[in-house]
Amino acid sequence: MNILIPHSWLLEHLDTDASPKEIQRLLSLSGPSIERIYQKDGEAVYDIEVTTNRVDSMSVRGIAREAAVILKQAGRKTELQPLSNPQFESNNQLPIPKIENNPVFCKRIICIVLSNIQHNPTPALMAKRLTQIDQNIHDAAIDITNYVSHELGHPCHAFDYDKIMKLGGVIKVKEAAAGKKFITLDKEEYQTVGGEIVFENDQGEIIDFPAIKGTANTAVDNSTNNILFWIESLSAEKVRFGSMSHAIRTVAAQLNEKNVDPYLAEPVLRRAVELYQQFCNAKVASEIYDDFPTPPQMQPVAVTKQKVSTYLGIELENQIITNILKSLGCTVDWKNDSTFQVTPPTFRPDLTIPADIIEELARIYGYHHLPSALMATAIPLTKPENSFFNTEARIKQFLADLGWQEVYTYSMVSEQIALESGCPIDQHLKLQNPLTEDRVYLRRSVLPSLNEVLDNNPEHPDLSVFEIANVYHPQSNELPDEVLMLTLLSPQSYRQSRGVLETLLKQFFITDLIVTPTSETEAAIQIIQNAEQIEIGKVVRLDFRIGFAIEMRKLQPLLKNHPRYQPLAKSAPIKEDLTFQFPSQTTIGIVTSAIKSASNLVKTVELKEIYEQNFTFTMTYNHQTQSLSSAEVEPIRKAIVQILTERFQGKLIGSLQ
Amino acid sequence: MTLDELKDQIKTIQLQFETETSAEGLRTKYLGKKGLFNLLAKSIGKVDLDSRVKAGQQLNFLKAYLNNKITQKERQVQANLPWLDFTLPGLKPKVGHVHPISQAMAEITGIFERIGFTRVRYPEVDWDWYVFESLNMPPNHPARDEWETFFVDTPVDQKKGKLVLTTHTSNGQVREMERLGSQPPIRMINIARCYRRQQDATHTQMFHQFEGLVVDKGINIQHLKGTLDYFAQEFYGPGTKSRIRPFHFQFTEPSFEVDFSCHICGGTGQVDGNKCKFCKSGWHEVGGAGMVHPNVLKAGGIDPEVYTGFAFGWGVERTYTLKEGLNIDDIRLLYSGDLRFLEQF
Repeated sequence: MNILIPHSWLLEHLDTDASPKEIQRLLSLSGPSIERIYQKDGEAVYDIEVTTNRVDSMSVRGIAREAAVILKQAGRKTELQPLSNPQFESNNQLPIPKIENNPVFCKRIICIVLSNIQHNPTPALMAKRLTQIDQNIHDAAIDITNYVSHELGHPCHAFDYDKIMKLGGVIKVKEAAAGKKFITLDKEEYQTVGGEIVFENDQGEIIDFPAIKGTANTAVDNSTNNILFWIESLSAEKVRFGSMSHAIRTVAAQLNEKNVDPYLAEPVLRRAVELYQQFCNAKVASEIYDDFPTPPQMQPVAVTKQKVSTYLGIELENQIITNILKSLGCTVDWKNDSTFQVTPPTFRPDLTIPADIIEELARIYGYHHLPSALMATAIPLTKPENSFFNTEARIKQFLADLGWQEVYTYSMVSEQIALESGCPIDQHLKLQNPLTEDRVYLRRSVLPSLNEVLDNNPEHPDLSVFEIANVYHPQSNELPDEVLMLTLLSPQSYRQSRGVLETLLKQFFITDLIVTPTSETEAAIQIIQNAEQIEIGKVVRLDFRIGFAIEMRKLQPLLKNHPRYQPLAKSAPIKEDLTFQFPSQTTIGIVTSAIKSASNLVKTVELKEIYEQNFTFTMTYNHQTQSLSSAEVEPIRKAIVQILTERFQGKLIGSLQ
Repeated sequence: MTLDELKDQIKTIQLQFETETSAEGLRTKYLGKKGLFNLLAKSIGKVDLDSRVKAGQQLNFLKAYLNNKITQKERQVQANLPWLDFTLPGLKPKVGHVHPISQAMAEITGIFERIGFTRVRYPEVDWDWYVFESLNMPPNHPARDEWETFFVDTPVDQKKGKLVLTTHTSNGQVREMERLGSQPPIRMINIARCYRRQQDATHTQMFHQFEGLVVDKGINIQHLKGTLDYFAQEFYGPGTKSRIRPFHFQFTEPSFEVDFSCHICGGTGQVDGNKCKFCKSGWHEVGGAGMVHPNVLKAGGIDPEVYTGFAFGWGVERTYTLKEGLNIDDIRLLYSGDLRFLEQF
């Protein structure tokens, strides 16, 4: 939450010689962060971020209280001005409506009737300040409530007293039944969901949506003569529920859902009465009604000095501890030299455990006064299983060096892209609350996303891309199976793309790749490891593009950081080419394996050239210890020709010499 | 053989060389294993003993002479090569690029690994328990408003709650404690994709965070400061400082906001008397940190009376785009797949 505070308003509560710039710097280091200073209407206006646990700072007074402690600690001459406590004569001219509280939901109700309201324009200074804090100006009777809330921090409400009385003069605090209509003061109609707290009259009509927004039927308007000025301390959970259920996120709701100090209600009421008397010529027409059945007591927190030192790494003197905490409004009770008990002020319900107290000590002492040091403790050595970050980085760098572009695409995809994975739409995880239509389903394949990237880069027709990212396979009653995939997509030929994958795997000393077609457009990729074929993923033909989807968790265990050294052959190899013609749709990968199977002296077979149906292979023959003569190669050559002729209807081009 | 006879033969070889017209084969003919020089050199054994030193000198002279002359002739041959235009532009091999986020993550990983952190990976789609509740954020807590959470449309688990896209890498905190059997020491760095329901020039629905978690006996705020300072200097360069300021998170106590000093103005907010345009205040806010809340340690099975710890978590995009001179003004480009952007990295 952010709050705007004009400098001069702050100075009504704070006596200091610090400049706005210094206030910004010092508060930001030890307290609420002053994110910006605007110049508005001739003075500095602070834009301050107040964290959700510090609703006590969401007011001019709250910031002044923090600033007084922080500026003083920094050596600035600073004093917090005492809070005025206006007194007035009360009477019983107009009766307070009949109030039926439910103390389970409402800790305190305080109210007073003010008569003779004159609808004067908002006075100049008040209007200036409300404008500076980006609030609209109405008239004094309405603006006083906003002004007081901003100044002191407790939301408050002005009812039209006569409207309340006409509706029966009864205010009941009730947990709403579902389906009841109410219209807020800005004329919006709502229906209760059930369980939110409302005020009803004795006819069951909703006459207020308390702590969140007033209703039209009891709101102050130009004809209002008498006001019921009202503050309630509703259960924070109930405020949160009501506000979130109807998406009514008023400032009042945002404060009231964070446990505003109920003790703050009376000073706010007294200040408001003072302003109504001053600017609307209002008369006090009743006693102060105050229903505060069980005023909350703050629980003391026991802290050891040892714990303070554990968090800070230095020891604070007892006197420093006492001074800091007292300046923040706490009472400090030393049980012995090493243990103290802290009772926070009522506006600090956030202080409940020792770490909370230590935070107060540390920030006021100054985080910037603590030294900086790296840990001297043992380095943990238990590594997680299945972590292959180094491999991922190497793969990325290698592919990039070969000319492939790494991309990051969204994990959430549109229905159309989701379907391109080949999985039915109902076998995808779907977001309940997507932000945009193109990001609704958790993808089960990265390939369609990469396909989209290539489509979107038409000016780079030769672009090849890859991504290492998760896909998400639903599992009933469990987390989805998140599978890290290495996905590649290229417009290059199949041989070129496959060559890149093979070269990549060779970096990790994998050479035996088997690709087995499973359909017209897909084939499984396997790696041989210890005579076992392990499937690592698939290759897919997407029109004129070739894609690979490799499962990292299957690939990773097969990768090696070093090869197994092969003793160098003592003899020179013999290399030769043979060209065969094959019928169309002959699987050349299997032909290659067949050539290799002709003799164990065939060390390598490479497909050198393809011309129409002619395929030229380069064979390397070698014997580990002796040089082969061409007479020794001859029978092997014959065997190859025989195998290819018989098994594949191959026809040797040329003749054997 | 007398010394004079040797000299005569040297002269003969020199004269013969002068008649050569082509550079080709000269080195083999004169200086090769069976070349003229070696043939003559073998005859040194026949020279009188008292003249042998001088004979050796003569031979050395001949060898140097031949070597120089042959090299000269070879150079002349090279001079006949076609003219080379050294001003021609290079023909570059086509290379791709590692995505800037991968580059940043690799750098961040390296920095933290050097001080003993272990990189981990945890689910991107996780239970509410790990993302919020175990982090001291009960259901419907107002603090949850800060995380614009995507929910997955699946049945709610009785114990672990809804299935959500991780809004931060902090779901790794309790998971890491569990992985180590609740036995510190812990020095975790968790870098992962995260998701929030927001999209503009500085936010994307998908982004990346890195999360540090250190738990051990005696871990204090100074260690957090030390780690932040170390990272700032390694990532942004020497002299970069860090600072922590009070903040609030449910899962840390105390909690901090982390700023790094601006490397353009050195943290002063001023360049040549003008306001620094890069930072405006001397500091860049990068993320959150804090001492691990006792309830979070308890949720991970660790006794907060024995152990303390700190945690921090920042956006990779934010941290990276603060690098000097990078000037990325719209982080949506990172995930656009637009080559015109990506090929610049």
